[in-house]
Amino acid sequence: MEVSWLHLVPLLPLIGAAICGLVGKWLPKGWLYAVALASVLLPFLVGLRAFVGLGEGVQLFHQLAFNWFSAGSLRVDMAFTFDRLSGALTLVVTGVGFLIHVYSVGYMDEDPGYWRYFAYLNLFIAAMLTLVLGDNLVAMFVGWEGVGLCSYLLIGFWFTDEEKASAGRKAFVVNRIGDFGFLIGIFVLFTQMGTVNIAQINSAAIPMGVAQLAAFCLFIGATGKSAQIPLYIWLPDAMAGPTPVSALIHAATMVTAGVYMVARLSHLYVSAPTVMVVVAVVGTITAIWSALIATSQNDIKKVLAYSTVSQLGFMFIGVGVGAFFAGTLHLITHAFFKACLFLGAGAVIHGLHGEQDLQRMGGLRKYMPSTRTTFLIATIAITGIFPLSGFFSKDEILAQALHTRAFSLLTLTPGGSMRLTWLGPLIYAVGSFAAFLTSFYMWRCYFLAFSGEYRGPEGVHPHESPPVMTVPLWILAGLAVLGLLLGLPPSWVHGTALEHWTWEHFTEGVFARPRGGAPGEFSPAVGFGIALLVGWLGWAGSYTLYFKRGLSGDELLSARLGPVRRALANKLYVDELYDRVIVRPLWALARGLWRVVDATLIDGLFVNGIPSLIAWVSAMARRFQNGDVQRYAAVTALGVAALLYVFLVRS
Amino acid sequence: MDFFHAHQAQHYLVLGALLFALGAAGVVLRRNAIIVLMSIELMLNAVNLTFLAFARFPLVPNSPMGSFLSGHAAVFFVIATAAAEAAVGLAIIIAVFRSRTSVNVDEFDTLKL
Repeated sequence: MEVSWLHLVPLLPLIGAAICGLVGKWLPKGWLYAVALASVLLPFLVGLRAFVGLGEGVQLFHQLAFNWFSAGSLRVDMAFTFDRLSGALTLVVTGVGFLIHVYSVGYMDEDPGYWRYFAYLNLFIAAMLTLVLGDNLVAMFVGWEGVGLCSYLLIGFWFTDEEKASAGRKAFVVNRIGDFGFLIGIFVLFTQMGTVNIAQINSAAIPMGVAQLAAFCLFIGATGKSAQIPLYIWLPDAMAGPTPVSALIHAATMVTAGVYMVARLSHLYVSAPTVMVVVAVVGTITAIWSALIATSQNDIKKVLAYSTVSQLGFMFIGVGVGAFFAGTLHLITHAFFKACLFLGAGAVIHGLHGEQDLQRMGGLRKYMPSTRTTFLIATIAITGIFPLSGFFSKDEILAQALHTRAFSLLTLTPGGSMRLTWLGPLIYAVGSFAAFLTSFYMWRCYFLAFSGEYRGPEGVHPHESPPVMTVPLWILAGLAVLGLLLGLPPSWVHGTALEHWTWEHFTEGVFARPRGGAPGEFSPAVGFGIALLVGWLGWAGSYTLYFKRGLSGDELLSARLGPVRRALANKLYVDELYDRVIVRPLWALARGLWRVVDATLIDGLFVNGIPSLIAWVSAMARRFQNGDVQRYAAVTALGVAALLYVFLVRS
Repeated sequence: MDFFHAHQAQHYLVLGALLFALGAAGVVLRRNAIIVLMSIELMLNAVNLTFLAFARFPLVPNSPMGSFLSGHAAVFFVIATAAAEAAVGLAIIIAVFRSRTSVNVDEFDTLKL
């Protein structure tokens, strides 16, 4: 249905950003907060109204805001589509975003740059909504770049600290590599399919080769934005930004853009079976890889950062095996509980006056009851313990991976096809192990921070945060619980009012069917049993190691697994590897280019060489211009004589 | 046919060329600005003579492009221009002489950079 109000959703935060950024410095604080909060709350209400409208038999709302540009057969509109997928995402972005804005009022109140902060935050919301709602790839790319920009601005928010500024640069550069792939993907789709409109791409018959190439290039963009191997390295460093930013951008919304993009272009990805395998495998490796690293990190935000990377890997498993609804379901539930975890970590850091090291926490449950309880709820949710939301969404992904038929008729070459029927169960096994590790490191984090005795710095008295920070925590914890309603298997609630709201049922028809068809009917009970077992195993391992012993649990592990643990604590030396293999050769190449090409060739030969040649010629020519008019006249006369000789005598 | 009575253009043209060369040599070689000016007059009059010669002995008889009067008209223009030029030139020489107390063109080399 064509409507005329959809543009308000991304426009209002943009206006808010303009107000905060341009005049925020001179506004009274209260007004600034009101503008910043209202410009997120209003789109949320608009989205809510639209979302209710979707239930009334409307498939999607669409608005053509304006024709952005046309060139030849290329036509790019600023147009928005609000369907069940993008609608739900809009609600998550604005809803969680609003809560984090509220929380930020408490968290950033004393920062002198608070107005700048809220301008960036609003700008981010606007960009993210453009990304989610854009009805063509170019509009999506605008949002895609916009969130990257805001991410850069917010990671380097405290830019006077060189380390934080360089973390921002790292995020920007790494994302740029991915965005390059994304752009190439758009180019491929435009040149081969003649359109950048998502709905048209999703309804066209795409030749296999085109689909593979475009999907792969777009997926490179997704690995950058969604922090997957090999481009995940920026996300842990992104924790240099203020903690609410980590919650909003680097956990709940922006980093899920890649998953959203794959789900949005489900038809394209289904037409590219090889790329689906790549997506699923990359997701699996990322999930296990960063879960391993997370077990040995001591910075509470780093633990959560690697946890985010790992959970994003799970989402990519979901979309990679063709279960787009499972991947996006985990995206939504993850937004709730990971935002809650990050904000809880922020409250802890706030209460400890900037202490982020788990080794210097402990026993905080006495001092911060609200933070502790909400953190506990979110931890239960992420570890996948029945019946919270993470249990359903994560297990849905793994069950779909086990039963998937997406790889059963895989076409690797245009000629023949091959079956990778063993890949699904393998992904299931590795994913389950990653789920175990998730449970392990999250409980470790919880026990080290909140149980045992206080190990923090002397003289710091941990205190509970003000209500403006704890209320969002409680709401998010509540959402982390209520998210289970989305994740209930339809067979459990068949025939009840809840059936309509389960995500699988709700998004029916939004996503393309995987190549081999959807998995056949399977009983969720066995998978749930295993998932529950895995979750509790992780808890049990963590409990025995850390609940009583506290830090000595780490020492015990280090004694047993010395080198392995040291490697994990050093993030498996990936940064060092990249430094050796990519950064330093690039550096050397750049240095060589600077010295040889720039300094010698361009500066020496062209920039300075041409002028000095001209100067030399001019010095020669100046001899002729000595100001003696008579000599000029003599030369002129000689010239005329010569010309006359040529034209009159010779011809 | 006697050389002096043969009404032919080349006599006048040779004279004009000699006068012109004489004037040009004066312009290039002499140092006194007034002499240079006079030499220019000489060149102009050489041109005048050439104009008149061609007016009297047209290269293309009965040319449809105009009568012999066009050569005369050009000469009148040159005479008028030469008069103006002489006035301006002498004025400049006087002005320069006032500031430099010299009419030697070798010393007037401020045109260069």
